[in-house]
Amino acid sequence: MKNSLLYLLFLTTVFFSCENKDDTVFEESADVRLNAALASYEKQLVEAPYGWNAIIYPGGGGSYGFYFKFDDKNRVTMYSDFSDAAAAKSKESSYRLKAMQTPSLIFDTYSYLHVLADPDEEVNNGVRGEGLKSDFEFSIYSDSVKTDVITLVGRKNQSRLVLTKATQAQATAYTNGDLAKALLFNNIAKYIPYFKRVTLGANTYEITVNQDTRTIKMTWLNGNVPKTFSTSYYMTPGGVAFTSALVNGSQTITGFSNITWNANSTQLGVSGGGASGVVVSAIKPISVDLAAARRWWQAPVESGGDWRSENGFHVNGVDDAFKVKDLKYNNLSYAFYMYAPAFNSRYDAFAPIFYDEDGIYLEYGHAPAKPTFTADGRVVFTEFGAFGDIPVGGAAEKSGALLFDTSGFYLIQTSDETYDMVSAKDAKSWITWE
Amino acid sequence: MKILFRHFANYLFAALLFSTTLTSCKEEDIGNVDDISGLGGEDWVAGPIDKWIQDSLVVPYNISAKYKWDQFEFGNLTKNLVPPDESQVIPLLSTIKKAWTNPYVEEAGKVFYNKYSPKFFILSGSNEYNSEGSVTLGTAEGGRKVILYGVNLFKIKGMAGYDAAKDSSFVKDWFLHTIHHEFGHILHQTVLYPVEYKNISKSYYQGGNWINWSDADARRDGFITAYSSSAFDEDFVEMIAMMLTEGKAGFEKLVNSIPEGTSSHGVTKAQAQAALRQKEAIIVAYYKNTWKIDFYSLQKRVRTSMNKLF
Repeated sequence: MKNSLLYLLFLTTVFFSCENKDDTVFEESADVRLNAALASYEKQLVEAPYGWNAIIYPGGGGSYGFYFKFDDKNRVTMYSDFSDAAAAKSKESSYRLKAMQTPSLIFDTYSYLHVLADPDEEVNNGVRGEGLKSDFEFSIYSDSVKTDVITLVGRKNQSRLVLTKATQAQATAYTNGDLAKALLFNNIAKYIPYFKRVTLGANTYEITVNQDTRTIKMTWLNGNVPKTFSTSYYMTPGGVAFTSALVNGSQTITGFSNITWNANSTQLGVSGGGASGVVVSAIKPISVDLAAARRWWQAPVESGGDWRSENGFHVNGVDDAFKVKDLKYNNLSYAFYMYAPAFNSRYDAFAPIFYDEDGIYLEYGHAPAKPTFTADGRVVFTEFGAFGDIPVGGAAEKSGALLFDTSGFYLIQTSDETYDMVSAKDAKSWITWE
Repeated sequence: MKILFRHFANYLFAALLFSTTLTSCKEEDIGNVDDISGLGGEDWVAGPIDKWIQDSLVVPYNISAKYKWDQFEFGNLTKNLVPPDESQVIPLLSTIKKAWTNPYVEEAGKVFYNKYSPKFFILSGSNEYNSEGSVTLGTAEGGRKVILYGVNLFKIKGMAGYDAAKDSSFVKDWFLHTIHHEFGHILHQTVLYPVEYKNISKSYYQGGNWINWSDADARRDGFITAYSSSAFDEDFVEMIAMMLTEGKAGFEKLVNSIPEGTSSHGVTKAQAQAALRQKEAIIVAYYKNTWKIDFYSLQKRVRTSMNKLF
């Protein structure tokens, strides 16, 4: 029995080695099919008569609107919503399709798309050495290639790039500079007060825009119940496009169109949800998060940390109004401004923190008493004492004077671990805690 | 049991022979070879930059320059880089041609230059950022391939936003220093410099510790730059790069800038200056004897071409 098994084994060896045919599952070889795939992808990109609308979602977050027009000579012309200049004027660069682990689309010389991926943080306000963690080499997966929509995945940072075939009207809108008009929306940052509202039809929404992360938060009242909605956004020639739509009863808002900006009156006009409105400022939130102030104070107490702000107070439209970033202490450089709740059992700490190569130091600052939390959701700080000698007329003294304003502050939670602390007096000053 | 084993052995032999014979008789041709994508190099529709590179570098000097993105040309795949802007490519390459290729060709001839020059230039638009905060200027591999970073930051006279105070030293210290430095390596790896060179500052080389030193400190020990003090070969090529890109007057100025007193290693001003002079003399003689190149004439040509660029 053992022997016959062995013989059988030898037999099979013999048979297999004789069997030397090249029949494969596919009718053509891998190389033929690969070349055909590359050619068909290129043909599809080139033959879209009015080019492609594109949205890229970088690995580092956010969403950005682009327009690409590919030609059959490895050239691509594009617009981008990243800057006013890139929205108004097209730039030509090169692209190619290449067989890598997957068929890939490579934007192989510098273009508006590379601005997001540039490791020079001065180019895109990103992280040094990483930029916004975006991509310019994309894998093409055949099941994500449809006639009118192609979805690509970045090879380095896994950004998602979605190409949608453009219409003639859209192509014309880009060449007419309509994308630059949509970027007028960025002027919303020029409103002096923190809170902005717009009334569209029967509904009034509070709008909170973060231009760095490209997110919009809308807050409204359903009767007395506050509702919030957050979405990423990007720009198109038609205006601001939300990546997901806001549905509020019978009103659905997919973005803002007809963007207008009046620099003299600082007024931004938008349309959305079948109505038009002008963005107006407000001195308090549309719905105060009554527990936010206490939550903000309590969080570091429980986790053993503190709140830090790089820029200090923003006042009347000026970032770092008191110039805390220019602070020096002997040979020490400014690191951040700190609020440490329950610094000890009797008082908190509100002070600039300095550093050198050995560590970080608190040299002087304010010691607020444990703050009071009002029934209407504000936090009010009072002075308990001081650390060290606070330089007269300096940034720390001015920051302290603002902190101890008797109107107090509203705390606006902007993410799981960030809050904006906004003056309850006029909403024209605030500080971001992270 | 014994017999069985013999059978086993015989059959094994027969089976082996059989299968081998059959397989080998089948292998008369290797079958159809298809058009393998990317085999023989990638291609794209050639544009004006491709034509310029072909006419100005490939045909006369057999040097190719890759400006279109290819991640695998760069050593470290984890780094975030971007390709160069097309508008930067010709200004950069022609600057290198004017301040490196032309002086050597005019001084030593095309045969010399074509024989020893690196053959591949790879361009990155951005710098390469390192985790400890430094940036990489350029790298060279095996005397064949030179990678230049930061091409999008390059500016010379006539380009938008050119700031003479900032950009001229950037181009000099960044791109031109790098290429002269790397070419120096190729020369001494082909024919080694006289061994006396190593004795001049023998006790003061410090290896990797050079990064903790400033150029000014290094000069007080008789090194032209801090990097010079890392190793014999680096010292030799840093001297070449500094003498060529600073010019004779610039080099004199550096030598004369060494302050009075002794360095932390106990080197006096006179000793440091003498060391730099000896190194200079050996390099001049090395160029003359080994390569039949008049170094001072080469130096003048490099500086003259640079003066026209900034």
